[in-house]
Amino acid sequence: MATSKLQALWNHPAGPKTIHFWAPTFKWGISIANIADFAKPPEKLSYPQQFAVTATGIIWSRYSMVITPKNWNLFSVNVAMAGTGLYQLSRKIRHDYFNEEETAAAIKE
Amino acid sequence: HLDQAWWDGISDPISYSPYSSDPLLLQFHLQQTAILNSPVGPKTTHFWGPVSNLGFFIAGVADMKKPPEMLSGNMTGVLCVYSALFMRFAWMVRPRNHMLLASHALNESVQLYQLSRWAKGKGYLQPKEDKAPSST
Repeated sequence: MATSKLQALWNHPAGPKTIHFWAPTFKWGISIANIADFAKPPEKLSYPQQFAVTATGIIWSRYSMVITPKNWNLFSVNVAMAGTGLYQLSRKIRHDYFNEEETAAAIKE
Repeated sequence: HLDQAWWDGISDPISYSPYSSDPLLLQFHLQQTAILNSPVGPKTTHFWGPVSNLGFFIAGVADMKKPPEMLSGNMTGVLCVYSALFMRFAWMVRPRNHMLLASHALNESVQLYQLSRWAKGKGYLQPKEDKAPSST
């Protein structure tokens, strides 16, 4: 019973024998690289790149549901990409726009 | 030939249209199959997905001015493999997505260039120095 389920997964049209599996699986690398970058100081983050990551994630989450075969793997990886991109953007925006009062106060002192 | 979809490469839509004998139907058919109304056109997510991937390409082009020390080898390498895989994906997915293929081909070239800049900056692409002492 377990083997037939495994066989069904192995032979799935979006399964490990197809590019429909490996392309999204590798896309996790982008989210993992972004999570590794959570440790980077916000000055070193790039607005264009993080915006591209976030927009790509949101648009592709929708795209993965309308292609043939429907690809949940691609959906999940793009949701994760959008999440990490949004977090990085929020870090950088907070640093750029909401720390100004602190630095201005420090300069005045 | 009537089962062939437009994205599989029909060059003459009028002669291949099933409505060549009826001008009104032909006009309607041509309108429906025009680019704006295309099944992979600007009204669909099959269009905006590839457009969003051009974001990576544009970020890569903007980063060409950056000094190699500021490039991330991890991210650039990952993006190279990512674009190669997705060029294949764009070809095999249904509907076949030529725009996606093109956007990833562009991204692949710029990311490979950035990867070479990063590698040279790190000294990975130096020629062997066992023949004569180099003056670098």
